[in-house]
Amino acid sequence: MRLSEVTERVSAATARVPRSVYAVGGLVIAIIFPLLNMAGWVETAWLRVGVISLLFVMLSLGLNIVMGETGLLNLGYIAFFAFGAYTTALLSSPKFELRWPFLVVVVLSALIAMVAGFVIGLPTLRLRGDYLAIVTLAFGEIVRLTITNLQDFTNGPNGITGIYSPRLVGEGALESLGSTGPAAWLVIDKPVEYYYLVLVCVAVTAVLISNLKNSRIGRAWNALREDELAAVSAGITASRAKLLSVVLSAGIAGFAGSLFAYYSNVISPESFLFMQSVIVVCMVVLGGMGSIPGVILGAIVLQALPQVIRQAAGAARSEFEVYRMLIFGIIIVVMVIFRPEGLLPDTLWRREAHEVDPREQEKTRQSLFDLEEGEKDLEV
Amino acid sequence: MVHERTRTFLALSLVIVLALGMFGVTGCAAETDGETDGETTGEVEIIKVGVQTALTGPLPDYGAAAKNGIELAVEDFGTFEMDGTTYQVELVVLDDKAEPAESAVVAQTMVDEGVVGVIGSLTTGATLSAIPIYAENRIPQISGSVTGPAANADGVDTFYRTCWNDAVQGEALAVWAMELGAEKVVLMDDNGAYAVGLADVAEDTLQAEGVETLRQNCQSGDKDFSAQVANVKEFGPDAIIFTGYHPEAGLMRKQMVEAGLGDVIFMGGDGIKSAELVAQTGGEANAEGIYATFGGFPEEQQPGYAAFSAKYEETYGEAVGPYAQNNYDAFGALIAAIKQAGSLDTEAIIEALQTVEYEGVTGTFSFATAADGPVARGDVVVAGLTPANVPRYVVEGGEFVSVK
Repeated sequence: MRLSEVTERVSAATARVPRSVYAVGGLVIAIIFPLLNMAGWVETAWLRVGVISLLFVMLSLGLNIVMGETGLLNLGYIAFFAFGAYTTALLSSPKFELRWPFLVVVVLSALIAMVAGFVIGLPTLRLRGDYLAIVTLAFGEIVRLTITNLQDFTNGPNGITGIYSPRLVGEGALESLGSTGPAAWLVIDKPVEYYYLVLVCVAVTAVLISNLKNSRIGRAWNALREDELAAVSAGITASRAKLLSVVLSAGIAGFAGSLFAYYSNVISPESFLFMQSVIVVCMVVLGGMGSIPGVILGAIVLQALPQVIRQAAGAARSEFEVYRMLIFGIIIVVMVIFRPEGLLPDTLWRREAHEVDPREQEKTRQSLFDLEEGEKDLEV
Repeated sequence: MVHERTRTFLALSLVIVLALGMFGVTGCAAETDGETDGETTGEVEIIKVGVQTALTGPLPDYGAAAKNGIELAVEDFGTFEMDGTTYQVELVVLDDKAEPAESAVVAQTMVDEGVVGVIGSLTTGATLSAIPIYAENRIPQISGSVTGPAANADGVDTFYRTCWNDAVQGEALAVWAMELGAEKVVLMDDNGAYAVGLADVAEDTLQAEGVETLRQNCQSGDKDFSAQVANVKEFGPDAIIFTGYHPEAGLMRKQMVEAGLGDVIFMGGDGIKSAELVAQTGGEANAEGIYATFGGFPEEQQPGYAAFSAKYEETYGEAVGPYAQNNYDAFGALIAAIKQAGSLDTEAIIEALQTVEYEGVTGTFSFATAADGPVARGDVVVAGLTPANVPRYVVEGGEFVSVK
């Protein structure tokens, strides 16, 4: 059997699995994972890998809205992450001696990132393709340089240290409940606690986005991506729909940034380099643009793979460290050669990436038609 | 179908390269394993020491030098006896890519591995996110290259370093400027962590002595400094302390001379002490009289350096890399602390590090037990080092010469 046939069959098989199976299966694995650590089978470092992977899952889900759904390439996405992270750091650290409640800080961080998304989105969204990519790239750099230079606010390159751990309840309630037993979970300061906190946030985000994807707005985004002119003729207000997608994705990045600041205790401009934006773009592309399970898988694979390679080297680890990133790169190259549409592709994107046998194409067209018919019935 | 075949071929060759690489790597590993296996028989006990460095990322040469220095130290001090048991150190080398997020994962891995101590990390930014994890899990950490004053701002007792805190130079520059009779001083940085740290300390020291100061800055890579020169001219200082690197320092000096500010004393830290500075100022005449300090004793003043560099060159076939000797000393100091503690309990080692006095390649030193002015907790305390005897250089006849 030729390699292409293998990959084709794998694609066909993955396409047949209902999406809900992925969702439930993924969630169960994610929930069980820390229990393995508590049982002593998995080391704590993997929990930290898990937290970072989940944060990047959020980022990829957010970027997927603009890139996968609306088809706007954003190369400065990490800037919104930075907005969220710095908002949190300023409101919950010894820098200004503030310790605002966790929920307020998280929501405010997301809102500020959304405002930033609105401000950058308004003038730039009339650009398309490469031009938009360049402007967003510049935006990312401007934000990073501003953070580096605004030393009175951000401590510049030294970063903000000693960010307080999130408290899920107020100080008074905390005192009366004590800090032992289940009450210890009210102050999030251990890797496993962060893990579950971020997992809940990721799950909520994923559900919201998948609902959005199947809503009127989601279809408007897809229509704009496929053919803007046709979409506008069909009555979609392009500027409003695009702006909404940019603002929403910025909000998710700000949310993730806030959690990142809490988790890492310290933030500095080094965490918001252009390279990080590129990695998030890679996660979306590798996982499968427009596909929520794909994007989640892409983020986990890209974040966890270097660690997996490290552990796979076993006793040879110390000698192996230098080659780790090289092998990581080779694996990505191989993946992109064989599955340009991503690991778990969206149906539409999959058809774009592959030349499909005409009979097969007819079948999918038919099934899509059936789908549309079915939905019409529902709407009526 | 040619296209398909090319792809298959390409992928297969990649897989083969990968497989060969793995084989090669595991091959050497098997050899080293064999060596240690031969010695683990009997009463030899293996202890793990972590090396958190950045082998990939922006500074791979620094990371490799650190690893080399530590490996040399393992040859020299890695096997020792304590209470009749022979201990042998096994290094756990992990790469943090100089990235803060990766650094936290690496630190946690070290904790999981049960290391008795960690040498590292390489950069200040990455260390910041590792410090709380080591502190919480009570694992001593000694860095041979983190010079940033921002490290250990919280003053934990698990962080130590064998290289000088940049703040030492900041204070030294301020003291020197005052010795030269400066009453109005401009401080200029390049917005990088290193330069800002240095300038902050210098500014605080000067202001505490009642010297009038003006702060200016530029970006690394800037070519035109006319705005800053105009500000300097208006302020009319006796001296300018430029804490960034030589490419900008040279141009700044050149443009100051052109603006008739050649008489203003021009000073900087080790970032400007480069042979290239003279050319960058546009000629010997412009560079004449530039002052620079250095963040460590020069190599000829480091007692063990000659022997260390000979051994390093013999082992690795290349000149000593940056901070290799500081990393060598970091490992040596950790082993000295273990011996002094007489125990592998990390709490006892941390206790011992407070009092250990270590005679290393770079000199005899101990660690600061409390923050004091620009000195952070865990900073290296070099016997007899004062701001006034930090190495000083001046450009004379087109090159830096030592000022006594």
